[in-house]
Amino acid sequence: MTNALSSFTQSASIVLVTLIISACGSSYNPAATSQDLSKPYPSEAGGTLISAMTAEPSGLISMIAGESASSAISSNIFNTLLKYDKNLELEGELVKSWEISSDQKTITFRLKSGLKWADGKPLTSADALFTWQAVTDDKTASPYASDFQLVKKAETPDPLTFTVTYAQAYAPALDSWAGLQILPKHLLQGQDLHTTSFARNPVGSHYYKLDRWTHGENLKLSRNPNSVLGQAKIDQLITRIIPDNSAQFLELMADNIDYMGLDPIKYSRIIPSRPALQQKLALYKELGNSYTYMGFNLKHKPFDDVRVRRAINYAIDKQEIIDGVYLGLGINIASPYKPGTRWSNPALTPYPYDPAKARQLLKEAGFSDTDGDGILDRDGKPFAFEIITNQNKEREKSAVLIQRRLKDIGIDVKIRAIEWASFISRFIKTGDFDVVVLGWGLGLDPDQFNIWHSSQQAPGQFNFIGYHNPAVDQLLEQGRLELNPDKRMKIYHEFARVLLEDSPIVYLSAGYGLTAIHKRVKGIDDPAPPAGIGHNSQDWYIPQPLRRNEISQ
Amino acid sequence: MLKYIIKRVLWMIPLLVGISLVSFLIMHLAPGDITSNESAFNPKASEESRQKLREMYNLDKPVIVQYGLWLKRMATLDFGKSFASHQKPVFWQTTDKDGNVTKGLIQEALPITLMINLLGLAITLLLAIPLGVIAARKYLGWQDRAITLFNFIGFSIPGFWLSLLLMYWLGVVNNWFPISGLHSLNYDSFDTWGKIKDSLSHLFLPVIIPSITGLAGITLFVKNGMLDVLHQDYITTARAKGLNERKVIYTHALRNALLPLITIIGLSIPGLIGGSVIAETIFAIPGMGKLFYDAVLMRDFPVVMGILTIGSALTLLGNLLADLMYAWADPRVRRGVVKG
Repeated sequence: MTNALSSFTQSASIVLVTLIISACGSSYNPAATSQDLSKPYPSEAGGTLISAMTAEPSGLISMIAGESASSAISSNIFNTLLKYDKNLELEGELVKSWEISSDQKTITFRLKSGLKWADGKPLTSADALFTWQAVTDDKTASPYASDFQLVKKAETPDPLTFTVTYAQAYAPALDSWAGLQILPKHLLQGQDLHTTSFARNPVGSHYYKLDRWTHGENLKLSRNPNSVLGQAKIDQLITRIIPDNSAQFLELMADNIDYMGLDPIKYSRIIPSRPALQQKLALYKELGNSYTYMGFNLKHKPFDDVRVRRAINYAIDKQEIIDGVYLGLGINIASPYKPGTRWSNPALTPYPYDPAKARQLLKEAGFSDTDGDGILDRDGKPFAFEIITNQNKEREKSAVLIQRRLKDIGIDVKIRAIEWASFISRFIKTGDFDVVVLGWGLGLDPDQFNIWHSSQQAPGQFNFIGYHNPAVDQLLEQGRLELNPDKRMKIYHEFARVLLEDSPIVYLSAGYGLTAIHKRVKGIDDPAPPAGIGHNSQDWYIPQPLRRNEISQ
Repeated sequence: MLKYIIKRVLWMIPLLVGISLVSFLIMHLAPGDITSNESAFNPKASEESRQKLREMYNLDKPVIVQYGLWLKRMATLDFGKSFASHQKPVFWQTTDKDGNVTKGLIQEALPITLMINLLGLAITLLLAIPLGVIAARKYLGWQDRAITLFNFIGFSIPGFWLSLLLMYWLGVVNNWFPISGLHSLNYDSFDTWGKIKDSLSHLFLPVIIPSITGLAGITLFVKNGMLDVLHQDYITTARAKGLNERKVIYTHALRNALLPLITIIGLSIPGLIGGSVIAETIFAIPGMGKLFYDAVLMRDFPVVMGILTIGSALTLLGNLLADLMYAWADPRVRRGVVKG
């Protein structure tokens, strides 16, 4: 959203880096660091954790808002029926157990007893039913409705039981229920979810409740005494809205915020070179939730030829991209799943960098440099294409490295970076592109029907590269019907293998999520489990002697 | 005079309609709508749900029909509701049936931007007028050269760079000023004096930086105006009849030298509500610049149109005010000797 701006602020932060390094030697903010930060402290409740985000949420009903800023806050306020544990396996959050019927079509959720909303009213299966009705209601335009529209029948036989029946078995169902935040029926019944003031003044059931939302400045959350999952350690969460990354980093340096996500330069260059920062900030690295890829428009020649796609895959040096763009803080992947999780096929290896093989494959596909201009040609036409990407620094830099490697083997590449909304409407939706550099999320559920199934190619759908492979179609359909995790795993391992062989996209890299947290915050798991450091944030604590003194309740 | 004002005001109506039509068309020429933002690019979000959203906001209708709907709403001064911000009203607050007040986006952003820009303009004028006068009086002297040098340094330094530098020096190295935001987190616990102090310290950097960078232009204007005037016969006359230099400069010369400045100030009125995206982003100020920039990127049409309409209305109003002030300041215009 703020791409043009971020490219500007990036250059600003580079200036800043130079400045900081040259201005080295001054010590700042001794007040907060006078205590020994590395001493062990017992766990105790209390304190305030301050963070920052770049954009303000539009509202806190995340099924309506849809953006990450909204769910970042609302996930502290609302519960879901299921959740992912630290190893990214499903477990109950509001439910104590769930059963899947033998025909795999009905899921019965058994809620924990004695659940309460923050206002003291009981939380029952009626609320779950209400939330399902709200998200599938014809008047609601929720971006995430499609998963829930597959539910044919939802019932509440008693206040602690909620059953949903699908027309046919639907394996991603459990994942979808882990994403749907349950809303209170008694406060929202009869209201229009798109306009209700509840979105800015929500009542939930999770660890925290919203105290105050100062428009454009901050959101203050405090511990919810009626929390259904017990009590979190930290009293108050404050999220400040600071759009500029450099300003956020200055605030972190000045000890005005406790943690922020970092880019590779800050993580591996700036903080390690400043003893004062190193002394008070702990750095964490965890596998991120997305990957960058280069995708071919398979409807355009010559990308319909698998040899050409594989040749380009061999010709790109992925390690060079990881080292150059991410300063080494990323990994190579060979399947669209998070490495180390159940769905990622450990037998697959990424295409190595092998220009000789690339040249040979292109020759087999009929390309040769007949006119001696250094560019391959076929049927009198030179092999040239344009890579388009949105205005995202990492993607642009990756494209530049690709351009250079493809020039080595005789392909002429141009690069164009386009503002997001134009990029989507003018190029992606119309299919008017040769090659894109973009990113996809590494979803926790393996179902990627919407991205790879051949039926998903209409304008606005997500198989915009036009991938069509009957074997993959069949595997994706099978995977949706299979609720047994082990059988499902085999299906997706095979899917990833075929995908890698077909090479409709080139996996470029999966970057690490990098975070700096002030050392006053204790109880953080290091190294991070697959779910990331945030998985136990309710147990994080700030020992009394290390708390800020100026901010009290 | 009154007739003149009424005529000018009535003329603004067709002008505004024309401006709004052109803005509306240009905005819709840009590809994409609210459903093509980055968070909508999620495989879990179906095209049907995006279509539903488009229908909800009438985005599936032809542009000219959408303009008609917008104009119809505008006829009752209803600026509509934002697409992107949970349908917050664009301009002014609304109250729902349960008595919950939802503030308007412009209502929240405008006072902040206005305050910063007015303070900035006041500081710029307070500095620029004396500096311009000194530079003109000591024309080609060392004072003049020093002022010119200072102004051009201020003019050439990129504002964002100076901002980050000062934020680092005044906020991080020395804990003298807050780095970003409008209020401290514990603002509510302060007494009145504490609140004022807190607000002023937060406003210091965002106000002072554009003032420094904007100083050059106005100083030069004052200086040149002053130089022109100082060579006029009536100044010589004033001096010849033995008036003291102070009176010559500040009563006789300055008043005439400031005439062109009125035009500049009149033209800067729409700028007062504009706000700067870059400054507001760096200092985390929820003002008009950021609001507009985000609305354009999100294709949040009601907000874009709301700001453009208010902006063009203010531009027209600013022009009118400048003309009226000219008439007030220059008797020749007032009496119709010279058309203003």
